[in-house]
Amino acid sequence: MANITIDGKPYAVKDGITVIQAIDEAKIDLPRYCYHPGLSIAGNCRICQVEVEKLPRSVIACNTRVAEGMVIHTKSPKARESQQAVLEFLLANHPLDCPVCDQAGECKLQDYYMEVGLYDPKFDDRKVKKTKKAFPIGPTIMLDQERCILCSRCVRFGDEITRTHDFGIFNRGDRSEIDVCPGKELDNKYSGNVADICPVGALTDRDFRFKMRVWYLGSQKSVCPGCSRGCNIEIHYEKSRPYHLKKERVMRLKPRENQAVNRWWICDAGRYGYKSIDHGRLVEGPLVGAQMNRAGTRPAPTWTSVLENLAGIFKKADPAAWAVFASPRHTNEELYLVKRIFLDHLKWGQVAFHAPGQEGDEDDFLIRKDKNPNSTGASRILRLGKPDEDITPILEKARRGGLEGLLVFGHDLAGIAGPQTLETVRQKVKTLVFEGPNDNPTAAVADIVLPAASYAEKEGTFTNFEGRVQRIRKAFEPVSGSLATWDWLLNLSGLLGMSLKHRGPEDIFEALAGENEFFKGLNYKKIGDQGCLLNS
Amino acid sequence: MFTEFLIKAGLALFILGNALNFAGLLTWVERKQSAVMQDRIGANRARIEFGSKWLSPVNWILGPLNALGIFHALADAIKMFAKEDFMPRGADRFLHTLAPAISVVFALAAFAVVPFGDVWHVGGRLVNLQVSGLNAGILFVFAMMSLGVYGVILAGFSSNNNYALLGGMRAASQMLSYEITMGLAVMGVVLCAGTLDLQGIVRSQSALWGFATQPLAFLLFMTAALAETKRVPFDLPEGESEIIGYFVEYSGMKFGMFFLTDLVETVLVACLVTTFFFGGWQVPYLLPDGFHFPWGAAVALPHTAVIVLGVTAFFLKVICFNWLFMAIRWTLPRFRYDQLMDLGWKILFPASLVNTIVTSVIVVMKG
Amino acid sequence: MATKIIKRKELGFWDRTYLPAVGLGLWITSRHFFRNMAVHALHLFGFAKNLRGAETYQYPEEQRPLSKRTRTRHRLTKREDGSPRCVACMMCETVCPARCINIVAKENPDPNIEKMPASFDLDLGMCVYCGYCVEVCPEDAIRMDTRILDIAAYSREGMKLDMQKLLNP
Repeated sequence: MANITIDGKPYAVKDGITVIQAIDEAKIDLPRYCYHPGLSIAGNCRICQVEVEKLPRSVIACNTRVAEGMVIHTKSPKARESQQAVLEFLLANHPLDCPVCDQAGECKLQDYYMEVGLYDPKFDDRKVKKTKKAFPIGPTIMLDQERCILCSRCVRFGDEITRTHDFGIFNRGDRSEIDVCPGKELDNKYSGNVADICPVGALTDRDFRFKMRVWYLGSQKSVCPGCSRGCNIEIHYEKSRPYHLKKERVMRLKPRENQAVNRWWICDAGRYGYKSIDHGRLVEGPLVGAQMNRAGTRPAPTWTSVLENLAGIFKKADPAAWAVFASPRHTNEELYLVKRIFLDHLKWGQVAFHAPGQEGDEDDFLIRKDKNPNSTGASRILRLGKPDEDITPILEKARRGGLEGLLVFGHDLAGIAGPQTLETVRQKVKTLVFEGPNDNPTAAVADIVLPAASYAEKEGTFTNFEGRVQRIRKAFEPVSGSLATWDWLLNLSGLLGMSLKHRGPEDIFEALAGENEFFKGLNYKKIGDQGCLLNS
Repeated sequence: MFTEFLIKAGLALFILGNALNFAGLLTWVERKQSAVMQDRIGANRARIEFGSKWLSPVNWILGPLNALGIFHALADAIKMFAKEDFMPRGADRFLHTLAPAISVVFALAAFAVVPFGDVWHVGGRLVNLQVSGLNAGILFVFAMMSLGVYGVILAGFSSNNNYALLGGMRAASQMLSYEITMGLAVMGVVLCAGTLDLQGIVRSQSALWGFATQPLAFLLFMTAALAETKRVPFDLPEGESEIIGYFVEYSGMKFGMFFLTDLVETVLVACLVTTFFFGGWQVPYLLPDGFHFPWGAAVALPHTAVIVLGVTAFFLKVICFNWLFMAIRWTLPRFRYDQLMDLGWKILFPASLVNTIVTSVIVVMKG
Repeated sequence: MATKIIKRKELGFWDRTYLPAVGLGLWITSRHFFRNMAVHALHLFGFAKNLRGAETYQYPEEQRPLSKRTRTRHRLTKREDGSPRCVACMMCETVCPARCINIVAKENPDPNIEKMPASFDLDLGMCVYCGYCVEVCPEDAIRMDTRILDIAAYSREGMKLDMQKLLNP
């Protein structure tokens, strides 16, 4: 341990860490551009100047190790003057196009200029024109060389994290410019991250380009449902301008730091996987009937009437002739309700959730083969034997006419077993119920369609592949006509005569923790923002 | 006898016509004078124009009148007649209709004793330019003005509206309070003139007008008389927009009659002030045979010319006072009710009493 | 909190008679009356045209002279090629206290301009004419100098201006 003093307060920090790490631990704000905790130290932006007593000159905090008895000042006149001088140099060639820059509002140059800007600049020279402006360097990223302050974060990201070596700094002196290597395109699976780490507007997200100014965005902590990794994310949705882009609520996803899961990063598939929240949703409210009233010929049934109808059917149903395809995309709470209602109360023997043949790509960094966020949770909660998790035997039984009714949560049977099977199942099964947020071929042929809330519209928890339980949070209300799955399942349990007295997901989770030894002792408070591992 | 009747009818028509014309014009004056006082132009959008080419000479005459906005008075009248004549539920139909008539009739009746000229020798007759030469003219005037209270209180009472009733009460107490001052103030003039006949009072001012001999009485009378007209600053009984007066339930021409009463009373008060304090039809230095100036010069004039000059002088004086009353109405803010009562009972009434006593003492001492 | 008691001024004898105040009031109003009447009379004979007898402007026929800084209906300024100067930076939309501006941005073919409005809607029915949008604009793209004051419409929709109407006031 080293005893040091920062801005007049004593701290005891680990030996060998850098001064900027000590400053971050002390939660003191210090300007930085090139320093990123996930990347190697470059020390080339030089804005993180601090004054260390008994040293003749100010030093950069990111590349100085702490030593016993060090006395550091981050806001002393000397430190401030150095920071100011550095920022003046950084801004020497930076254009004044904040009005058109998407980074404006979350730009570190803007932020630190407010703090340590030289409001009366001495520079009178012409700015050096760089070549590439608003230049797409790949499917996801737009490059603007003028705005670059040559912090080299993106270069190091390509070298150290993705190891694709996309970026380089070309030319010399004040004509230096950042660019992708000649003949290359930035198209790796993590390319979106360079827009996040770029402290200025040089690398911006093409998907988010001009969609919305960042200060209109609301933010909610959540978990990416794209694969079983469960990367921590922030959902950025529009909140201040209800009339702005009426159909789209989610503007972008940003990774959220979680050292145990995704560190600071997220893959592009997850980053741009939010489109299903606003597109292709089932928005007409619950639908009933063979061809249903999609054309709007009959008045839409209400949730109450549909659930009463369902409860009536379920009460009379023969447990051996009905099956449930639960979804590994549902939260732990919802799966627990599925277990309570269909396994425990209705005693249906045929419940499965695992759809075979849905695996995708995988790598050694973040992306996982299993594209469902909660397979572990489903398996732990439903407690079926490994072979019983698979839906194939039940589907086969349905195809042969052995089932009277089938309740499908989210699965697309056509995608799993082919359209032919879906057609056969449709003909053989008397009642086909579909529940899910998005439209798909199964929903199109179901007798009863229940529109569900997406993961951005409800509370709950996912369990990732290594058994880490993480919370998703509600960013905004469900689209018109849809209900969160736990919500209508609770209603249904009441109609079926069960006495589940849960007020919401937190309550349900507590009941789950009380019953299931994997979840024993867990609660929302314990899970927090960073998640919590299951008991093994 | 019949000729006598014709002459009286002619005189009555003349004074009535003048009074009503003045009252009608006062609506225009009110608009325009207030506008000029407040650096505005005033209403000038009501206009009469003929499209036909043949009537263009008429347009030429109407042009300046249009520009002056005279026809707003006409438009007002048309509006009053065309509006719904509303009668509130539970109102006393008979009294509700009678009240405005009482108001306007008694206000007009008071003009009967106002002398607007000297005795005119015409065709071997002596025509007194006064509808009725009552020797108790002042009593008649006060009687008529007092009866006007009935119109007001009946209007408030018959409307079946508490606010109207309260307004009527306010009006009654205000008018009763100020009538005492008015009567006492005039007593000074009566004592000086030694007669109750208005023609006699005017005649007695041939040398020195009343406002010189009775300055305090003039101020007191004018204030009290203005209060009688129920116009700003004494418009507590009406207070159309803020405190709601006795005619709140009136509309159409019935309301118009109350409105007219106000203006007729203004003209009447102007006539009375002229008669009591500004020598009525008297013209300075004009004797029955012509002008006799103090520096010795003299202009002989025929009798008819002297009479015409007198009548003209009377109406000019009335116009001047109308102007003054309008100016007061557009200058002063409304009194509070306690201020109104304090002014009436604690200042005007004692002052008028003192004035009467002092005057009587002086008159007796002079013998 | 310190309380300061201000005593009401006692009225003197003359104040209580109201006479001086009444006289003063009448003096002021009659002064205006006679002065204005004199000016009107002089106008009738063609004199003293530089004096005004009344402050009135006969509105629909006669427009009131407006100060140079008067904020009137908005307009969007154009570049030399006729396209809007606006770069859809949303500063005006952000600063607008009435939230009457709604901009949708799009890509400008010229990479040196980069951004331009796809639509620029302004609801005059909501606008409070504070002029913040003009003040905040970094491109001098929106101005309130059209001198158009008589804005009226039969519907709320009619009060809404799109980019074409803003560009060509």
